[in-house]
Amino acid sequence: MTAAAPSLPSILGPIRPRARWREAKLLVVVAATILVGSVSLELTRQVAVPGEATGLHPANPYHLAIYLGLLALAHVVLVLSGRRMDQILLPTVAMLGGISLLLMERLPRNLVVQTFGPWKLGLGDVQLAWLILSVSLATGLAVTVRSDRWLRLYKYTWAAAGVALLLATFVLGDEVNGQRLSLTLGPVSGQPSELLKVILVVFLAGYLSENRSLLVEESTKVGPISLPPLPFLAPMVAMWAIALGIVVVQRDLGAALLFFTVFLSLLYVATGRPGYVVVGVLLFLVGAFVMYQLVPNVRVRVDIWLDPFKDRSGSGYQVIQSLYAFARGGLLGTGLGAGLPTVNGNLPIPEVHTDFPLAALGEELGLVGIMAILGLFLVVIQRGLRIAASAADDFRAILAAGLALVIGTQAFIIAAGNLKLIPLTGITLPFISYGGSSLLVNGIIVGLLLALSDRGVEPPPPPRRPGRLARLTGRGQPVAARSARSRVPVRPDEGHPS
Amino acid sequence: MKLVTVPPPSGPPRRRPLGRTIGHVGLALTVAFAGLALGAGYWQVLRSADLTREPDNPVVIAAARNVVRGQIVDRDGKVLASNKRDENGEPYRVYADRAFSTVIGYASRQYGTAGLERSWNAELTGVSNGNPIGDILRKFQADPYDPQKVTLGISSALQQAAVKGLGGDRGAVVMIDPKTGEILALASTPTFDASAIANPATQDSGFAAVRDSSAKPLLTRATQGQYVPGSVFKVVTAIAGLGSGRITPATTFPEQPRAETAGLLVSGFRIHEHPGVPARSFNLMTATEWSSNIWFALAGLRTGGDNLAAVAARMGFGAPLAFDLPTSASQVTNPGGGGPGGFTDNVELANASYGQAETLVTPLQMALVAATVANDGTLMKPHLVIATAGRDGARRIGPAEFGRVIGPDEADAIAAAMQGAVESSIGRQFTSGAKVEGIPTAGKSGTAELGGSGAPHSWFIGFAPVDQPRVAIAVIVERGGRGGARAAPLAGDLMTLFFKLAGS
Repeated sequence: MTAAAPSLPSILGPIRPRARWREAKLLVVVAATILVGSVSLELTRQVAVPGEATGLHPANPYHLAIYLGLLALAHVVLVLSGRRMDQILLPTVAMLGGISLLLMERLPRNLVVQTFGPWKLGLGDVQLAWLILSVSLATGLAVTVRSDRWLRLYKYTWAAAGVALLLATFVLGDEVNGQRLSLTLGPVSGQPSELLKVILVVFLAGYLSENRSLLVEESTKVGPISLPPLPFLAPMVAMWAIALGIVVVQRDLGAALLFFTVFLSLLYVATGRPGYVVVGVLLFLVGAFVMYQLVPNVRVRVDIWLDPFKDRSGSGYQVIQSLYAFARGGLLGTGLGAGLPTVNGNLPIPEVHTDFPLAALGEELGLVGIMAILGLFLVVIQRGLRIAASAADDFRAILAAGLALVIGTQAFIIAAGNLKLIPLTGITLPFISYGGSSLLVNGIIVGLLLALSDRGVEPPPPPRRPGRLARLTGRGQPVAARSARSRVPVRPDEGHPS
Repeated sequence: MKLVTVPPPSGPPRRRPLGRTIGHVGLALTVAFAGLALGAGYWQVLRSADLTREPDNPVVIAAARNVVRGQIVDRDGKVLASNKRDENGEPYRVYADRAFSTVIGYASRQYGTAGLERSWNAELTGVSNGNPIGDILRKFQADPYDPQKVTLGISSALQQAAVKGLGGDRGAVVMIDPKTGEILALASTPTFDASAIANPATQDSGFAAVRDSSAKPLLTRATQGQYVPGSVFKVVTAIAGLGSGRITPATTFPEQPRAETAGLLVSGFRIHEHPGVPARSFNLMTATEWSSNIWFALAGLRTGGDNLAAVAARMGFGAPLAFDLPTSASQVTNPGGGGPGGFTDNVELANASYGQAETLVTPLQMALVAATVANDGTLMKPHLVIATAGRDGARRIGPAEFGRVIGPDEADAIAAAMQGAVESSIGRQFTSGAKVEGIPTAGKSGTAELGGSGAPHSWFIGFAPVDQPRVAIAVIVERGGRGGARAAPLAGDLMTLFFKLAGS
């Protein structure tokens, strides 16, 4: 259903707008929900201060207008691009971003203060700025990425860049509370592990799609057990070592867990062999046990998880306060702005805006709100995996699945930590936590997923010869020779649908 | 998850599409998220109420500072705990009656809460009104706090008389309505000045005085004191014997007359009768009147340790009682013995059957034993608070059954024996002063030997009237001498006062 294309002057070539009604409708729902939330937040504020009732209006009309305008603009840009991209992803992510904006408006403004010349920006202002950049980045990538060659061909370059970034953090990272999470280069400061997760997925997509056939077919027999071919266990061990390195050097359990889980999941996606998962989980258990014995930070986290009430006012304090917040919320929550009582002027959860946003939301929106937020994440995951399952070739499928898995796994790890289902690790809740690195990288992920969902632009390149590693080990015969008797199946979704 | 799955093409698996494995991963993540939802449900619904009353929960701390706590009143509406405001306008607690200090405890800005002020903190501060639906609706109101007025089943007159009767001695009195489980008096001595701890001007010295006192007034003896029961435990042995069917009211032991003089030989250990008991056969009635150690030792041996422990557990032995205040567990024996019911051997079982050995009880538990016999063998759940009331309505805490311990016929037989122990010419020697004039009274005294020098604990449990009991009682006076010396007369006085107040 190509809309009538008015002849507009264009920079990116001829503009053939394509209507995205479903996205438009969903964005209207999102806008209405955020508006209601904002008004409700303001009403709570008015009730708290008697005699200042001023009627119904949003908590911060300018912020709201800017954010909703941004969403409208993003939608228009996507329409003008004319690409046939997923229409559910942007509204879902926009809803999560809107929840984030409401939460940051509601938390004390002075949790984060940044000064730009004459302006003093508080928590809500800074988060809005990052949201603007993040949505712009997503939209920009969705519109402009029309080829995957720059990702596909240079996977070892990407891997090298990732390793360099990791080493730079190991050596030059700023140490805060015994953790080396952020890196400052000149005026720019950020958390490299956020970017690393995308680089990891890009590399794995290239590596796995290239070596997939060998990973699937070969095996090493140890007695009755059929193990994956030994040379291909090397990347798994390398990945494991990198994850352990992140734990030992950076003390960043969350990133290590995220990387290793995503790696194992993608390995399974590519090969369909549960054996890899079993070996990987065993490696994880061994690593976890050794880390528990050797690294004090790990032991503290695990001990807190086992019994936070042992040291209520000390190490267990944050987790207990998180559980209290969930408990205060109950089924329906206290209402936006009505939770989080301050004690002596301090918030009960110190890192609520980065590590515990779910606890704050659980208190104010209740179990119902938590279910809704988890549901939104599941929608993001489902759209991502759907894009993966209908992708034109293995590289794109694994790339899309990996990007979706990064978001899903990360959301799970931090949410489960907040709920004391697993030990707490300090990673961000995607789209909701405060933080520039996190929002920007998640914007990149959404942008790439949107671009990947458009299957009508460029056909994937023809299958390449097996990878370097396979050639070195002598297993990689040319595809045609190995499977001369089989026809090359043609994927139904390949080619150019018009 | 709806995923596009492409049917696997024939041929080698090299070109197998990824839809299937992607579906698996999606399924795994969905299951993981379902786990998150269950986790959130656990904390936000199942554990919501109890976490929201933890004393270090910020909402409780905030409420403690700013909310005017609900009043606490006795069963006649007399105010026991109310509020005043300091010079900053912040409220603090004032308590009307020292006799209630060990029940109500205190609520202090500096020193937290104790007693009912702690266990009912959520209702008193108005964080919860005990009604889940009401709690949900309350959140939509402008002022989410709805402090509840808490009404106790205790009568001030009885409570004051009990504390006065214990006097300078350490001890405890528990009075309970056996038909409803409402606590009518719960006295522990010594008492303390709770107002001094609650008042910001005197809190430090007030708290230090209580904390440093060697008499440990913060230990609520009525619910937390663990005492050797002595002969009042014979009622438990009788309940277990009749309840298990091993003993009848007519059971006699042929070996008893000889054992009265020579001692009862159990596994090479001799159990002796206390002096003055004639060398003859007893049944339940006469053994209770004479308080015969030998008969109850034999009855306990025939009942067996497993039956004794099991029937006692039906009355709450073996674990802390569920109650409005913290309780200690009562025990028939130390846990972990090798024999049936946890007893080490028959010697210990025989000694426990008349209340010595490793048997330890709380006064509240013994009041429940008396209440069980009084209420035809059915024990009602003991409770201090009988009603709460707030802005959004009132709630009554009605009678609830704790459990059926024995049948009514067995209970009647024990009640008759206990009436004999108070009213017969023989029983009266041991329970002097327990009888309520004009009202049939049942009871059992106890003299708990503690070993070493010093006076024994003086015990009495009982109830009245015998056929339609309205009050059951347990009294212990530490180092008060024989049961008939201190506990029995005090119990008689308090039950007499109860019927006088009730107007009959």
